Amino acid sequence: MTIQANPAEFVSSVKRPADIDAFWADVLAQTAQIPLQADVSYDPLRSSPQVDVYQVHYTSLDHVGIAGWYARPANHAGQLPGLLVVPGYSMEPLIPKNWAARGYAAFSVAPRGKLRSNGQFNPGYPGLLTHGIVDRNTYIYRGFYMDSCRGVDFLVSRDEVDADRLGVTGHSQGGGLSVVVAALRPEIKVATSGAPFLCGFMDAIELTDGYPYQEIADYLRLHPESLQQVTDTVAYFDGISLAPKVTCPIIVNIGLQDSTCPPETGYALFRAMGSEDKQLYDYDGFGHDANNAVHTGIIESFLAQHLEP
Amino acid sequence: MSTSADARPQNFDAYWQDTLAELGRLPAAPEVEEIPFRSTEFATAYGVRLTSIGPYRIFGYLSIPRGQGPFPVRYFLPRYGSVADLVPQGTSNGQRQRYVTFALCARGQRRSDQPYAASFPGQLTDCIDDPSSYIYRGIVADCCRGLEYLLTRPEVDPQRVAAIGADMALITAALCPRITHLVYTPVIFHRALERAAATQAYPLEELNDYLRQRPERRDQVLETLAYYDASHFAPMVGARTLLMAEAGSSPLGPSALEPLVQSIKSSTDVHESENSGYRDGAYSELWLSRELGVAEPSLPAHWR
Repeated sequence: MTIQANPAEFVSSVKRPADIDAFWADVLAQTAQIPLQADVSYDPLRSSPQVDVYQVHYTSLDHVGIAGWYARPANHAGQLPGLLVVPGYSMEPLIPKNWAARGYAAFSVAPRGKLRSNGQFNPGYPGLLTHGIVDRNTYIYRGFYMDSCRGVDFLVSRDEVDADRLGVTGHSQGGGLSVVVAALRPEIKVATSGAPFLCGFMDAIELTDGYPYQEIADYLRLHPESLQQVTDTVAYFDGISLAPKVTCPIIVNIGLQDSTCPPETGYALFRAMGSEDKQLYDYDGFGHDANNAVHTGIIESFLAQHLEP
Repeated sequence: MSTSADARPQNFDAYWQDTLAELGRLPAAPEVEEIPFRSTEFATAYGVRLTSIGPYRIFGYLSIPRGQGPFPVRYFLPRYGSVADLVPQGTSNGQRQRYVTFALCARGQRRSDQPYAASFPGQLTDCIDDPSSYIYRGIVADCCRGLEYLLTRPEVDPQRVAAIGADMALITAALCPRITHLVYTPVIFHRALERAAATQAYPLEELNDYLRQRPERRDQVLETLAYYDASHFAPMVGARTLLMAEAGSSPLGPSALEPLVQSIKSSTDVHESENSGYRDGAYSELWLSRELGVAEPSLPAHWR
C-alpha cells in the first residue's frame, strides 16, 4: 500500500471519459422510457404514532423491480420536502423514520441486489462490485445508479412532495451515490456525502487492502489481462468523473484515517465538484465513520437550511 | 415465567444444554471448497458448509495462511444484517497472512439463506414470543457449530482462538469454553426492551414495532429476551476479554456496563469508545495482537 503523506495533495489517476455525458444521457433516456409503476402500500408494523411508513416497489432499468421504504410525518399540512436516502454497500437500507420525524418525506431505496430488490438479480456480497466490470454497458452499477436515480422519480410522483425541495444524503456507498444522483438528476437541490465510496476506484485499490475495494484487486489477481478494460469501465462510474456535473450545494465529510474509502479519494472528489457552494469537512483522528457522531448534526442543519422542513 | 430480562430464567441452563445437545446429535457434515477468487499469495480462502440444528445448512468463509501453522484464530461472529464479510469491512485483508479467519453466515444471512432468508428489519423479532422457536436459538447453535468445525482444523492453534463480534461473540464464548479470547461489542441483547423504549433506531426499533402491534405479548417477549441477555452469559465466560463499550453515559457505556463487566468470570479490559472507528479499531487490533502473541498487528495502512 502506498498512502500519501498529505492526502489533500493526492492527484487521482481517474481520467474523465470524453463521451461520459453522452453515455449517461443515453442510460437516463433508456430508463425514462420504462414506466415507474410505483406500488405504495402502508406498513402498519413499521409505522408509529409519529411516522407513517410505506413499502414501495417500482420498475427500473432492465425492468428490474426495486424496493424501498417511504416514511413521512403522520400528521402534516401542506407539501413536504423530499429526501432521498441512499444506502451503504453491505448494509440494508434503513427505514428513514428519523428523517420523517424531522418533517421530510423520506425515501430509502434498495438498489438491485439489496434485500427486497434481489428477486431478479442477486450477485451477493462480496461480488456486486465486480459484476460485469469489463464492460460499461453491462457493469452492475449502470442499473444500480439508475435504481437510485429513480428514487427522484418516485418522490416527485407524490402529491405531498414539493418537487422544488429535493435533497439526497448518504454515507459510504451512500456518499458515492449522493454524488451520482446529484450529478445526474438536476431536480436535486442539495446533497450531503459522507466518506464517499465509488470515487477513485483504481486509486483506492492501491491505497487500501480492505474490502469492498479489495474485490477489484481480487478480480484483477484472477484476471490480470482485464486491467485496461476494468479501468476503462469504472471511469464512467467514478464519482470523480461525475463530480463536475454536481452544481447544487453540497457538503462532504471524510475521515483522514479511513481504511475503507481512503481520504485521498475524498479530497480528489471534492476538488472535482462543479458546485460553487461546497464545503469539505476533513476529520483527523477518524476512520470510515468520518466523525459521524458530531457530523450528523451538521448534516441535519445543512439540509434543514436548504429544504426547510 | 420470567417477566424481566434481569431475571435469569429458572431453566436457563437447561434451555442451552438442550440446544447444544440437539446440535450434538447432528453431524456437522462439512463440505469445504476452495474459493480461488478470494485466495491470495499469502492465504487460501474456502467456503465451508455445515449442518446446524433444524437441521439447517450454514455457510462460512474460512481463510488459512500459507506456510507452517498452527496459527491463531479470528472467529468473526455474525452481526445483525444480511451480509457477513470475509474479513470485516475497514480491517486489513493482510490479517489473513497471520491468522486463520472464519466468518460465519448464520441462518437467514446471505449464503445461509436457503430456505430461510431473513428480513432486516424483521429477524430480531422472528418467533420472539416463544423461547423454544425464537430464531436466535438456531443462530446461537450455528455459531457454536462454526467453532466446533474450526477446532477440527489442523492449522488452528487451540490455545489462541479469539471470538470477535457483538452479542453472538459473547454468547458463543459463554457456551463454548474453548474460546480463549473475546472481543465483545454489546449491541442488542442487554436490557434490550428497556433500551428500545428510548430509541427509534433499528434493530431495537423492531421490538417497539412488534409490541405496538401486539402489546399483549410483552411478557412473552421479555421471557424470551431473558434467555439471551448478556448479564446471564457473562459469568460463564472464561476467555480473556476486551469489552468495547459505547462512550459516556450511554446505556452501553462503561458505567452502565460495570455490573456486567464485574460478573465476567475472566480478566476483562474495557475500552470506552472514542466515537472513532479508527481509534477504537486500532485499540482492538493492538489488544488482540498483544494478547495472542502476534508480533506485528494487522493495521490498515491509514492507521499506521
